[in-house]
Amino acid sequence: MRIDAATCENQCGDAPASSLQPTVTVACSGESYLCRGDESLLCGMLRLGRKGIPVGCTNGGCGVCKVRVTSGRVRQLGAISRAHVSVEEEATGYTLACRMAPETDVILDVVGKLHRNLTRTAAGRSELPAAARNDHGRDER
Amino acid sequence: MNVMRIGHASLKVMDMDAALQHYGNVLGMQVTTKDADGRVYLKCWDEWDKYSLILTASDRAGLDHVAYKVRAESDLDALLPKIEAWGIKATMLPAGSLPDTGRMLQFNLPSGHEMRLFATKEQVGTEVGSLNPDPWPDSIRGAGVHWLDHTLLMCEMNPEAGVNTVADNTRFMEEVLDFWLTEHVLVGPDKNIQAATWMACSTTPHDIAFVGGPRSGLHHIAFFLDSWHDVLKAADVMAKNKVRIDVAPTRHGITRGETIYFFDPSGNRNETFAGLGYLAQRDRPVTVWSEDRLGSGIFNHTGDLVASFTEVYT
Repeated sequence: MRIDAATCENQCGDAPASSLQPTVTVACSGESYLCRGDESLLCGMLRLGRKGIPVGCTNGGCGVCKVRVTSGRVRQLGAISRAHVSVEEEATGYTLACRMAPETDVILDVVGKLHRNLTRTAAGRSELPAAARNDHGRDER
Repeated sequence: MNVMRIGHASLKVMDMDAALQHYGNVLGMQVTTKDADGRVYLKCWDEWDKYSLILTASDRAGLDHVAYKVRAESDLDALLPKIEAWGIKATMLPAGSLPDTGRMLQFNLPSGHEMRLFATKEQVGTEVGSLNPDPWPDSIRGAGVHWLDHTLLMCEMNPEAGVNTVADNTRFMEEVLDFWLTEHVLVGPDKNIQAATWMACSTTPHDIAFVGGPRSGLHHIAFFLDSWHDVLKAADVMAKNKVRIDVAPTRHGITRGETIYFFDPSGNRNETFAGLGYLAQRDRPVTVWSEDRLGSGIFNHTGDLVASFTEVYT
């Protein structure tokens, strides 16, 4: 059965459960969830209504779900924007959670984050822009 | 200076086949030509110029450039020195730089986005033609979007460092291209920092919009639909095609648009935008949105600020 990333994102729960149900652990929060081997790390989290990895376009373009896989094997489901994951980063485990399915149990660190734009100013937290810019620089390497 | 409307958007996509399925079968656009570099050109059924969307295969998502159409070739000659006098370098690209398209005046907005102006593009006509036309063609597919309506660009903004390219872009569009402001978001202790602006050159509440963010990028390109019911049907089409919907059908306070936000298969955000909103006119008082009611400006029904909506873009 061919499953592409887009199908995974939106048919969460529709496909028959795979016998392989690796455990994905988000290291910084200690949160873990079971993820099918035919869905992305992000989709598995969304399907169970869990949190921990920021959710953006889910299609490899925006980079907010950037993670570093520190343990376990993953399989790529679709294209990942080079604006967000460089060749060097990819070689050291950085990737986008929306484009990777687990082949084994996986432990990951969350790297990407949402940058507060209009909502930042609306919330009146004026100290944040400089920090957001630094974070952005990290994402854009 | 006679800018008529948005002419086309050129997007970078990471999977051309998936992009063509999306823009063709989900939105209902037709491929009208391709070029030697592999770019694909598409139009909506209700557009008469040959294309309004260019797809370029890339290793990343995002906007390549956005183009607006002016009335006459002479407008391009008049605008070149005007743009440069404002302090922006501009280049006149020869006719044929893009297929079936005349000269293009190319420059970067203060936010860094590449903008082009053109006056001439081959006209192939709408799918209902111009002689005793039916209101819509039988060939409609998917959401059947009418036309490319506008774009929203995320613009680098850091008021503490004195950087606000939302305000810079807005001033450029007013002073050089003769757009006018329809709505803006004013923030800060003195309520005088333009954090977002909506601008018109036709009669729609926005032909372009700018929103501040940590880096410049593409927030979305939007396609026009007639009615609220068309918006509902478009969402049904997206569900059938497993399109990632960002914001399900709702209404904006800003522009009053009836809307859906969703992502193309490379993560570029699209919108289907329905309704007149209101008749944009130069003498209409500018609508102001304050920080404390910004949530209602963005999503009229809930009034909630949705972080991913302003913070996720390509």
